[in-house]
Amino acid sequence: MQSIELNAWFGAKQALKNVSLNIQANAVTAIIGPSGCGKSTFIRCLNRMHELVPGAKMSGQVLLDGKNIYSADVDPVMIRRRVGMVFQKPNPFPTMSIYDNVAAGLRLTGAKKNKNLDEEVKRSLEQATLWNEVKDDLKKSGTSLSGGQQQRLCIARAIALQPEVILMDEPCSALDPIATAKIEELIVSLKHDYTVVIVTHNMQQAARVSDFTAFMYLGELVEFGPTKEIFENPKSELTEKYITGEFG
Amino acid sequence: MGELTYNAVALSVEGYIAGKRVQPKVSEMSEMLVSMSNQVEDRTFELIARFQPVASDLRTIKSYMKIAYDFARYGRYALDIASINERLGGLTACEAWIRDYVAEMSEKVLIMMRTSLNALKNHNPELAQTVSKIEEEVDAMYFGFLDKLVKDAQATNECTISSVLVVRYLERIADHAIYVAEAVVYIGTGKKLTLG
Repeated sequence: MQSIELNAWFGAKQALKNVSLNIQANAVTAIIGPSGCGKSTFIRCLNRMHELVPGAKMSGQVLLDGKNIYSADVDPVMIRRRVGMVFQKPNPFPTMSIYDNVAAGLRLTGAKKNKNLDEEVKRSLEQATLWNEVKDDLKKSGTSLSGGQQQRLCIARAIALQPEVILMDEPCSALDPIATAKIEELIVSLKHDYTVVIVTHNMQQAARVSDFTAFMYLGELVEFGPTKEIFENPKSELTEKYITGEFG
Repeated sequence: MGELTYNAVALSVEGYIAGKRVQPKVSEMSEMLVSMSNQVEDRTFELIARFQPVASDLRTIKSYMKIAYDFARYGRYALDIASINERLGGLTACEAWIRDYVAEMSEKVLIMMRTSLNALKNHNPELAQTVSKIEEEVDAMYFGFLDKLVKDAQATNECTISSVLVVRYLERIADHAIYVAEAVVYIGTGKKLTLG
């Protein structure tokens, strides 16, 4: 996936300025930067969610497998299926069971016939490392789970649609350290099958889970590179100041 | 710690050249350096555990841990020199050329130590890199000394053994001055240069 000179606005306010970034497949890319720098806006442009905000607009390109997802002939719903999103606050469908939460997307898209549904739900829950904890309670409400389990349920729901890219917007910020550690392990394991982009305020989390890190400031991409280099020897003085806590 | 380690080496060399007994004092300084090195290690670990430093902070902490070890090694070599002086006697009973040679070599080594210390105090990578030139001279002097001593039939066993050991320790101290200088370059630039 690649963004080319991506700009985004909320009304008259420009939130992204010419962001060009190559997101490597089967790797975890972390987006870091202070509040309001455009991190979340950037990933929302990667699956055409930004345009759902009233008054929002964008320019530039986002290529997925070489094709611009903003081309006139591209269906945004299909893009959101290929590029899944996990949000800050776990948001399982409140009236649905654990099983139905995972199956919902599959049923809506009509992609799977019922006979495969059980297998797909199991596969998704296994991949989200939740299966062993919920396999005997699949009929229970998704909201009966703990916060960390709910977040893994949301990841399972995203995985069920077999996306190519999974976007995560602060997926651990509402979780305790143990639940956070499980999600972080999961993120690292997911990269074998998916491309993962994670927005995080927690720089140590970015350092732990990502292969590449992008630092954004005031809507611009300041620095992008292998995580080891960004955290050990950043090239930009601005990056250095941000990650060492001199501002932000 | 830097000043203490410099003083330990300077005192041991001075004692050896002048045949003065300095071993008890140098031993005390060496023990203090080991203790300080352990303290640096503990405190750097604490900083890493509590504050998860990154970028230049992380490079500095990592390097300080390494430099503290180098300082402790300086102290250990100073003690080795003082102990040789204690056991075999100083250079006063040796031929003048050996005394002059060791004095000149130790002067260069002390300059290397001082330069790398100043570079460290000011986090000055450019200054740090200047030690490599002197290290080449120290290395050449080390091998030159061995060659010269082999041909010198006059030297006593005590002079031969003690001076060979001491120039070897000086050469090792010079290596650690290089390591300190390399660490200063790494702190300032993130580059892992080999200066030696």
